[in-house]
Amino acid sequence: MNCNDAAVMIAAYADGETDRARTRSIKTHLVSCPDCAAKYEELVVLRGRIRREVPRYSAPPALRASVLASLDTARQAAAARPRIGIDRWRWLTGGALAGCAATVLAWFIGTAIIDWRVNDDVAVEAVTSHVRATLGNQLIQVASSNQHTVKPWLSARLDYSPPVPDMQQEGFTLIGGRVDYLDQRPCATLVYKIRDHTVDVFVRPNAPRLPPSALRTVRGINVAHASGSGMDWLAVSDVSRDVLASFVQQLARSDTR
Amino acid sequence: MSDVKRFEALVLPHLDSAYNLARWLTRDSQDAQDVVQDACVRALKYLGSLERSDARAWFLAIVRNAFYDWVGRNRPAEIVHDEDAVDAAVDAASSSPEQAAVRNAELRVLSDAVAALPVQYREVLILRELEELSYKEIASIADIPVGTVMSRLARARALLQRSPLLHAIRGQSTRSAS
Repeated sequence: MNCNDAAVMIAAYADGETDRARTRSIKTHLVSCPDCAAKYEELVVLRGRIRREVPRYSAPPALRASVLASLDTARQAAAARPRIGIDRWRWLTGGALAGCAATVLAWFIGTAIIDWRVNDDVAVEAVTSHVRATLGNQLIQVASSNQHTVKPWLSARLDYSPPVPDMQQEGFTLIGGRVDYLDQRPCATLVYKIRDHTVDVFVRPNAPRLPPSALRTVRGINVAHASGSGMDWLAVSDVSRDVLASFVQQLARSDTR
Repeated sequence: MSDVKRFEALVLPHLDSAYNLARWLTRDSQDAQDVVQDACVRALKYLGSLERSDARAWFLAIVRNAFYDWVGRNRPAEIVHDEDAVDAAVDAASSSPEQAAVRNAELRVLSDAVAALPVQYREVLILRELEELSYKEIASIADIPVGTVMSRLARARALLQRSPLLHAIRGQSTRSAS
């Protein structure tokens, strides 16, 4: 690779957008070419400064409230429609009502089966938990940045004692924990913050149902998985995939550090 | 699942991302809230076109469209459709030392420099650096080819790096650290 080819690829490489072969040839080139290495370094410095100094704004409470209010209006409008239908069918005989009841029952069983099949996927379940927690006020049941406060709180409520690693060095601040239900069992959830992103980490005793490393995106939210330190770690967040994947690997290795 | 439930499950988790994008595009808190509110109404209406996997990119594309409609109504002068004209204006501003000095005197911090970028560069930079989206996602949100995402990002970064402010602040921070 010469410097002309490299110039275009350096930014893509810094953004994690190069494939394995390109990554390898760029790395080789950067080692041998101080000019290109300096360009790469400048990009890394600029990124670091942007992430430190340029704020990522969060939706103000007033906006969130007004969006929720307009959803309520939409919900009421939707709920008003079937009620008119019921009034119209009030003259129906008992036999017809029983028929309706049977239909409703069939529908319940049908959706229960669909729910059960969807929930079979632990990653989807974890994302649902994460979304529910970040939407409501149940994100944190024990609020503390001290791992020695969070760990005993969780241990007292579970039949296992989850490790609570301090990840401050990596830029992840522990803000607390909660107990969730995952895969039909109570599960420790550690809550970290990186910049303005919330990261939920589901920690369970080794659960062999997931592949050893799973990385996927469910509804635009990333899920990364790792095993280690006698536990199964499932991290869920809207932070970028590479960041989340390396974070979960570090968590899994945490007690060997 | 009802539309409202689907909206709560798929779209609402990305309200911060939506506001952040709108806030950087409009550069004003109240205007950003108006844009996001409008985008939510549209998102609820067109929820049928959403596939599960890319709710964030889908919603951000709607926010961006809502912004461009808003800006067309409120600040039409801000939008320059011709890419070359944007480049020319930026080059002219930075090639004249007096103008550059005036401009840079107004920029106290890096976030001001980002806010001063032309909107086409600002949006790709925000989506990449603050929302951490991939080139492909940015391309679909901004409705441009991946090659254009790369060239706009490169221009945005070059403009920030060229800004003397960056060096001034770097000098200050090393001084205060020593």
